[in-house]
Amino acid sequence: MLTFLVITVLLFILMRLTPGDPLQRLAGDRQVSAEEAAALRQRFGIDQPIATQFRAFVTGALAGDLGVSIEHYPMPVSTLLVSRLPASLLLGGTVLLLTFGFGIALGVLQAVHRGRRLDRWLTRASLTLYAMPSFWLGLVLAWYFGIRLHLLPVAQMHDPLLGADASWLVRVGDVVRHLILPAVTLTAVSIAAVMHYQRTALLEVLRLDFVLAARARGLPERQVLWRHAWRNALFPVVGLFGLWLPILVSGSVFVEQVFNWPGLGHLAADAVSARDYPVILGTAMLVSAQVLLGGVLADLAYYTLDPRVRHA
Amino acid sequence: MRRCFRAAVLFSVLLSPLAAASAAGQEATREETVVIAVGRDPGSPVPTLLLGNVTAREVSELLFLPLASLGPNTITIGDKDFLPGLARSWKRRDSLTLVFEIDPRARWHDGIPVTARDAALALNLARDPSVDPSRALLLRRLTSATAEDPQHLVVRFSEAYDEQFYDVIYHVSPLPAHLIDTVPRGALGRSAYAGAPVGNGPYRWVRRVPGQQIDLAANESFFRGTPGPRRVTFLIASDPEAQINLLLSGGADVLQALGPVSNVARVAADKRFTIYPVLTLTVGYLLFNQRDPADLARPHAILADREVRAAIALALDVPAMVQATFGQWATVPFGPVPRLSWIRDPAARPAMANRAGARALLRARGWVDSDGDGVLDRNGQPLALSLNYPTQSAPRGQLALLVQEQLRQVGIRIEINRLDGSVWQERRQGGNFDMDLSSATMDPSPSGLVQSWSCAGRGGSNVAYYCDPRVDSLLASAQRDRKHSLALFRQAVRTIVDDAPAVFLYSPTNPYSVSSRIRGIELNPIAPFSALWRWNPGPFR
Repeated sequence: MLTFLVITVLLFILMRLTPGDPLQRLAGDRQVSAEEAAALRQRFGIDQPIATQFRAFVTGALAGDLGVSIEHYPMPVSTLLVSRLPASLLLGGTVLLLTFGFGIALGVLQAVHRGRRLDRWLTRASLTLYAMPSFWLGLVLAWYFGIRLHLLPVAQMHDPLLGADASWLVRVGDVVRHLILPAVTLTAVSIAAVMHYQRTALLEVLRLDFVLAARARGLPERQVLWRHAWRNALFPVVGLFGLWLPILVSGSVFVEQVFNWPGLGHLAADAVSARDYPVILGTAMLVSAQVLLGGVLADLAYYTLDPRVRHA
Repeated sequence: MRRCFRAAVLFSVLLSPLAAASAAGQEATREETVVIAVGRDPGSPVPTLLLGNVTAREVSELLFLPLASLGPNTITIGDKDFLPGLARSWKRRDSLTLVFEIDPRARWHDGIPVTARDAALALNLARDPSVDPSRALLLRRLTSATAEDPQHLVVRFSEAYDEQFYDVIYHVSPLPAHLIDTVPRGALGRSAYAGAPVGNGPYRWVRRVPGQQIDLAANESFFRGTPGPRRVTFLIASDPEAQINLLLSGGADVLQALGPVSNVARVAADKRFTIYPVLTLTVGYLLFNQRDPADLARPHAILADREVRAAIALALDVPAMVQATFGQWATVPFGPVPRLSWIRDPAARPAMANRAGARALLRARGWVDSDGDGVLDRNGQPLALSLNYPTQSAPRGQLALLVQEQLRQVGIRIEINRLDGSVWQERRQGGNFDMDLSSATMDPSPSGLVQSWSCAGRGGSNVAYYCDPRVDSLLASAQRDRKHSLALFRQAVRTIVDDAPAVFLYSPTNPYSVSSRIRGIELNPIAPFSALWRWNPGPFR
């Protein structure tokens, strides 16, 4: 809780120290008179000293009111965050599932086939994808599958014209189709890390005596691998999972922008560019909470999986 | 692995009929819908409450009708060159009083007739500085707006001037008094009405998905005719690449900001789209700060000198720069006058580039390259200046490089500052720059020149502190003397160009890309989508 409070205070101060004027986007290219600028600053409370602004923010936040968005005026920040959270959870959850599901499976496959052609090719392929900027890969996939082949939608989370009378099956199918390209893009650029962690950890474990003992007892290789070796090689990946958990909320700013995915990453990027202080603070607080929660969950997972931690 | 592969194949097989079912079910609706990709969430699309958000204005054009609109020549003086809207006629009672007759067929979307009381309420709201100080300032000479009876609106002014009619119809659209007159003025922007406005235009509000889309449906009882497109959806995509992908993948029918010239060429090559050039009220210019950025009380050490500014203007080959940056999508303006403005002088031509002349001017002011480093200097001070531009503007980035290179050739060193939009704006407003690549979208009225180019505007919109009493006098006379208004405005512009407070670089034409399945496209430069209801969407090919 203390960490969270410190992060919030730091975020608030750093944000206000950052140069930039939130009125710029509101005005666009239009000339804004000094009176109008003053009125707008007063409306959003940014004419007050920083201490007063902070006091107002804390008072509001304790009552569940994160203020009103400057860019999306008059929308409350909490409404905005809640409206964007499902999209982020869906994309982030899918990416975590795909990255860790496929990453662990492929990492194990590499470790089992260490030094062979399959191992080498998987390493090359995953590192090539890892080296690609996500926005670039996203643009290429959007161009090929969306514009050239017309197979998949390239933007949004829903078909904007889907009627209110569409069945749930059609709705689910629609969301899945929209999810494919951003999820594949994010998974492709991030799977290498999980594969690498899993491969290295499993290779370490496979060298240990208890694995030799299991084989000596005549256990089938599949049982040795999955029941004995893999379980012990899972700890580094669990740690990695804890670190990656915030992606559930923050998503990927670039990929969400390329695919116009209506998630929190997209919202945060727009808010930063517009200097929409209340929204920046709201999203940052949500991500900070998620980071802290990720750490706690990873510790709990260690505790459950590793008896040495429990006994210690 | 094999199981995973099987699952993936099964998943794809299941997905295809879902997609097909989805597409088949939507085809009929989709054909009658126009989807417009826009860059920003419109916030509150209620006229009088909206700020400088272009998208909000575009949505409001479909929801609300003005009393009248500007005619094709965009002339803002008098009352002859305007087209009827909610007001079917108007007359002048005396030099201080205008009377509008509201069309009795006009209805709000909830069925209540539009009356003069609605128009009076909107005008009185707009005059209130607590609602919008800028608009109140524009309407400062309007003293009262009253409903004489349900059909007749009487507007009175404190003085006789040429743009009385324009002020009434351009800055304000009637609002439904029966829905908002009980809402406190200060709370109007956050009211339920602002979130789901009831208008009187060809389209009615259906829903908003925050940050994603806004849906409007045809107003079947629109008194001017039945709208062609049954539905209009504004899709919000802030990323320019996402916008163009939406268009090219068939997810959107209309896109107004195609970005760089390469994007325009890409869309132009696609037969599914037609590009419509639409003139704008925007002018881009290289602005010279006439005050020292470190101390605004002092003149700028280099740029306060008119001869140096004129030399810089002379050193730049502006037509070549504009051609390289915008292709055919911009022209070089003469002064701060966009192509659409009625005071534009078609005979006036910007001066041609003359580097030898520029060098001579600088030499005459004592700027010579005494140490042979390629940069001119005077009393040990190099002729070095910084140039700010916002990172979000790719064309201005390209122009900055061209300015840097062309000024290098006459011995001026330019340091380019590529700044985040908010930081750029902050520095611009604070006078913290030497040179700035600015872009301003003006009102159709030339009286807006006063804000940016008069002594009175210093510290406000006149961020470079340019001041020439001759220009002030000409602008003031132009607004008073109706007979010689055009000549006086043009003379003021010539004086501004002669003073060289800026190099006026471009007046862009906006390439609107529209799906070729839609016929009968009309795009009004002042209110682009105001005639959308007359468009005729056809089947997808």
